[in-house]
Amino acid sequence: MASHSSDLENARVNSPNPVKYVSDFFDRYPIHKNYYLRIFLQALVTIWAVMSFTFVLVRLMPGNPVDVLIEQILTQEGISYQEAYDRVAASFNIDPDASMLDQYVDYVGDLLRLDLGTSITSPGTRVIDEIARFLPWTIFAVGCGFLISFVLGIVLGMTMAYYRDSVLDHSLSLVSSFFTGVPNYIWGLLIIIGPGITWKWFNVGAARGTYDPGLTPGFNAEFIASAIEHALLPIFTYVLATLGSWMLSMKSSTASVLNDDYVNVAEARGLKDRRIITSYVGRNAMLPLFAQLSISIGFVLGSGVVIEEIFVYWGFGHYLFQAITVRDYTGIQGSVLILSSTFVFSNLLADLTYGLLDPRVRITGEK
Amino acid sequence: MAAKRQETVLEVDDLSIVYRTKRGDVKATNHVSFSLKQGEAMALIGESGSGKTTISLALIRKLPKNAVITSGSIEYRHNGEIQDVLRLSKRQLRAFRWKDCAMVFQGAQNAFNPVLKIHKQFEDTARSHGWTDKQAVRERALNLLELVRLDPERVYDSYPHELSGGMKQRTLLALGVLLNPQIVILDEPTTALDILTQRAIIDVLNDMQRQLHFSIIFISHDLSLAAEMADTVATVYAGEIVEMGGVNDIFYQSLHPYTYGLLTSVPTLAQEQDLLQSIPGSPPNLIHPPSGCKFHPRCAFATAACSQDEPPLIQDFGAHLAACWHKKALAESREERVS
Repeated sequence: MASHSSDLENARVNSPNPVKYVSDFFDRYPIHKNYYLRIFLQALVTIWAVMSFTFVLVRLMPGNPVDVLIEQILTQEGISYQEAYDRVAASFNIDPDASMLDQYVDYVGDLLRLDLGTSITSPGTRVIDEIARFLPWTIFAVGCGFLISFVLGIVLGMTMAYYRDSVLDHSLSLVSSFFTGVPNYIWGLLIIIGPGITWKWFNVGAARGTYDPGLTPGFNAEFIASAIEHALLPIFTYVLATLGSWMLSMKSSTASVLNDDYVNVAEARGLKDRRIITSYVGRNAMLPLFAQLSISIGFVLGSGVVIEEIFVYWGFGHYLFQAITVRDYTGIQGSVLILSSTFVFSNLLADLTYGLLDPRVRITGEK
Repeated sequence: MAAKRQETVLEVDDLSIVYRTKRGDVKATNHVSFSLKQGEAMALIGESGSGKTTISLALIRKLPKNAVITSGSIEYRHNGEIQDVLRLSKRQLRAFRWKDCAMVFQGAQNAFNPVLKIHKQFEDTARSHGWTDKQAVRERALNLLELVRLDPERVYDSYPHELSGGMKQRTLLALGVLLNPQIVILDEPTTALDILTQRAIIDVLNDMQRQLHFSIIFISHDLSLAAEMADTVATVYAGEIVEMGGVNDIFYQSLHPYTYGLLTSVPTLAQEQDLLQSIPGSPPNLIHPPSGCKFHPRCAFATAACSQDEPPLIQDFGAHLAACWHKKALAESREERVS
């Protein structure tokens, strides 16, 4: 009893403990054990690593935009090398002779102010403005394609599992394996060559761009219809290229859920078929697909580079492709940064939302 | 615990079921007949693979897709109405399941949908049978959960993975009687549970039956459970009922060598170790079952006649039904052993 009260005394005298060391701080506020904070920091570190890697990689690519421009000015205007050099340096607003470390420090400093820099090849245009101009189109096309493909894949996959070993199942399996096997750019080319050029179902030339020239972007029917029309081919390609894998995943996932006891018990409980299909089979079978979903969002955004180039759809991929072609360092860096951030944050989002769908992995307190 | 009201709720007549497989037809149930009275508890006992589960699945028509019912009828009687379970339409069958006849499956570990809370699954069950008053469902469910000795409020608001195996089993029992069914089928209700939980489940079942007056069919290879719970016992061997009678008749006066073998293979507290015997051999191949009495290859009493003619399930010696040519010899041997 006596020792107990003296403990209390001590506690009162020493409290609050002064924070002397960093470790004291963490002892008192165990934020390092906070799951959400941890995965958020993890995501930031990943993005930083990708950013630094891109920075170095871009500078290792053969071909240097400054040299190219100097050459150009030299041959066009016949002035001295030093003059041409000074002019280029002035127009880029960079010091071409700065060490890579200095450039890196500058770049990171700008990034922290959310400044992606100005384009190297077309001075005066800010990279962030360019990305803001192109990215929404890609989000629109990829998003639509993805949504359609996911919903369709789930419905068809479940149907296949329910009618297992029927003619329907076998033919859909064959079709979906084929769809999965053919790469998306081949689909893009086939669509242009077949319906576009050979059968002339649509005008290949008019399908270029993101909306008909002459229309003012805004919330009016004409513009929206035109935007949808122009996005149709890329969307269709995304659906074709991703549908098969959704179908096959959903089929195998549903088939395994159908063998689970709780589905059997649900039938014995006399539940209505619709309730069993949606809340008992569908919801459980979709769980593994949600994990895939976030990963594929990044992939599709990346594969958009080629698809948008094929259909001359002026989206983010088109912009990145152009930036690579002309060695626009800041453009490439900015685009890759956005791309990798999307990837990392969609994974983060998946981590955070998966718990809402599956109570078994819900985070309870510290872990 | 003998049935007081003598109304029959279930009448199974000449039921035969085969499973169509690539290697041939598996004759899983052969000419099985029995009846179940209101409030009666009947045990189906036998080895694994003897066809007990097949019989019980047929009662709610939940057999696997490759099963075919080749003969027989299953009559369900309730309030003077007779329904042939095998002829119910899809809609009638859905209504029959759980509301009239609930089945608590073997191993409740995965019986609940992992992504829905327990109360959702109770409500689902009620709503599918036209009972939409959530508050009333909740009250009834909490009462039942209390009856199975769980913390009602906590369990009702839990996800399945938050419950232990024994808790899930008891929750499933509570769910089983939610709609006040006439018949509750329990398939191995205590298997895979530790001995204390088994005890609790048995007590709970006895309690519930006393209060709710449903009939029970339970399937078990646990003879002590059968002895404790059942009014009537039927021994199933190779898809046939080979012996059927009151619990005391079966346990003390068994007239079939198979039942007798099952009983002597269970150790008791009072018995000498060397009296413990096992049944030689293993259950027969049900694609090509033995001729005559299907037990004869493993039977100590078998004679030439046993391999030719199948003994009928009749009451010709003793107080209950048994299908054996050598009941008398068995009875004498049993007397000797005891003395």
